[in-house]
Amino acid sequence: MLRASPGVHRGLLLAVAAPVPVVLLVGLALRWSAALTGAIILLGAQQAVRLALGTDVLDEWAPLVGGALLLCAELAWWSIEPRVPAWSQPRLALWRLTSVLLMCLLGAGVGAAMLVAAGSSLSGGVPLELAGILAATGAVAILAHVARRSP
Amino acid sequence: MSRAATPKLGAYAGLAGVGLLAALVLGRAELAVLAAPFALVLFFGLALSEAPDVRVDLEIDRERQVEGEEVNASLEVRTHLPVPRLELLVSLPDGLESDAPNPVLIALDLDERRELEVPLRCEHWGAYLVGQVFVRAQDRFGLLAYERSYDLRRPLKVYPRGEGLDKLLRPLQTLSFAGSQTTGTRGEGIEFADLRPFAPGDRIRRINWRATARRGEPWVNETHPERNTDVVIFLDTFAEARSGAGSTLDLAVQAAGSLAAHYIRAKDRVGLVAFGGVLNWLTVSGGVTQLYRVLDSLLDAEIFLSYAWKEIEILPRRTLPPHALVVALSPLLDERSVRALIDLRARGFDLAVVEISPVPFVEPGPDELDKLAYRLWLLRRDALRASYLRVGVPVVEWRQGDPLQAALEEVRTFRRHARVTRA
Repeated sequence: MLRASPGVHRGLLLAVAAPVPVVLLVGLALRWSAALTGAIILLGAQQAVRLALGTDVLDEWAPLVGGALLLCAELAWWSIEPRVPAWSQPRLALWRLTSVLLMCLLGAGVGAAMLVAAGSSLSGGVPLELAGILAATGAVAILAHVARRSP
Repeated sequence: MSRAATPKLGAYAGLAGVGLLAALVLGRAELAVLAAPFALVLFFGLALSEAPDVRVDLEIDRERQVEGEEVNASLEVRTHLPVPRLELLVSLPDGLESDAPNPVLIALDLDERRELEVPLRCEHWGAYLVGQVFVRAQDRFGLLAYERSYDLRRPLKVYPRGEGLDKLLRPLQTLSFAGSQTTGTRGEGIEFADLRPFAPGDRIRRINWRATARRGEPWVNETHPERNTDVVIFLDTFAEARSGAGSTLDLAVQAAGSLAAHYIRAKDRVGLVAFGGVLNWLTVSGGVTQLYRVLDSLLDAEIFLSYAWKEIEILPRRTLPPHALVVALSPLLDERSVRALIDLRARGFDLAVVEISPVPFVEPGPDELDKLAYRLWLLRRDALRASYLRVGVPVVEWRQGDPLQAALEEVRTFRRHARVTRA
């Protein structure tokens, strides 16, 4: 794990997160999906830097941060969607907001379960790491396969 | 319906993938926890998405309309499943415009049926097929977009807007059927022609009592009979001059429509010859059916580039009846149409030429040579008109914005004063 002085630590985190408001604003103003992705990636990168420079102790706030990132992404993509006249009805907007919040909570819950599993005393080793790599790659591949355009 | 990933799907997949890989590289499970909600949305979004069952139907309230007027298209959308976002685009051909939002974005509930009004403005004459509808729907998570096109094309004929004409061109010869053209002969009619002494067989009601009282013997009125005539509208479709949205062909079609409508209303028989790259003709006939035939033929009129030399002989004989009045609408740009008209005159046809002036559609070039060429071109056109007048063919220049009636009056004046020679 990398170690750094508190000042350098804070400076590095600020440097990674500083462009986020600008990138987010650009994405919202231009309705540019890639800029929103970039903003979320920068926020995640900030968390990665924080964890890399921090201790080995599992961060119990990670599920909430994950849920918050999802909420930020959902609201951002909702903002850049073309307006549907039906969505101006409060009932429908409330329904959608509730769905988004529920999904964020569910995501945080799944994240918490993953964190509990990661904190267990189960010893890893190369086979488990290999299984993890294959699972992650397989998950991405399955998602790509399902998402491909059908004729 | 075809299915495609939205940018949001790519973004979420990227975020989940980057988070998982970062967790593996840095050995921090928290990064996988950060990526988990995005992966969860992907999982549920892809697992629960299904192609929406959207049915679309399009109806137009009328099949025929006049240039400049509106028709109402009604788009009916039905679905059995809720669709949170549905985009509908009615593909409109050039010549039709709509002020209504197009594409339009709606949301549909379970088993909902929605009707959308799309008023269409007929900007240009022509025959159109309206109704190719493109539909795009997104799933509830916004990860997948489903697209489909519906071929619901309905025919719509937009006729050229005609001009009101008070007086038409009078033919030199008429037919023997009743019509509205006053002939030069004497017979049963309305318009007074002359007086003559009573002859056995004359009707008592034709006696002119004043003349009889003055002369002391019976005198009767003679009248000009009203007869119909054959009119052939000769449309030159070899070439046109175009500037922006207007062209000489548009003017010619509008004039042809006006003339056909007025002559048919006057009980004359009207035919049409579109003489150009593509030959099209209608034999003379009368009645409302013939009017619609003529107007439908005009909708097919277009400039078709062709280098083949064509002469009048290729037209079937019955398209040009011998005593017909031939009204030619031509910009006189193509040598073939110029010669064809002179050929018609040489064959003894009663011909009048309305030159659809291309001058307003042509701008001279910037340099002196271009301006000189433009002036020479104008002089050549004047010489061409003079050659027509020499052989007794009235040629009148009709420009965009001028009333057609004024051009017809010039032709009438020429025909009144000119001495008609026969080949």
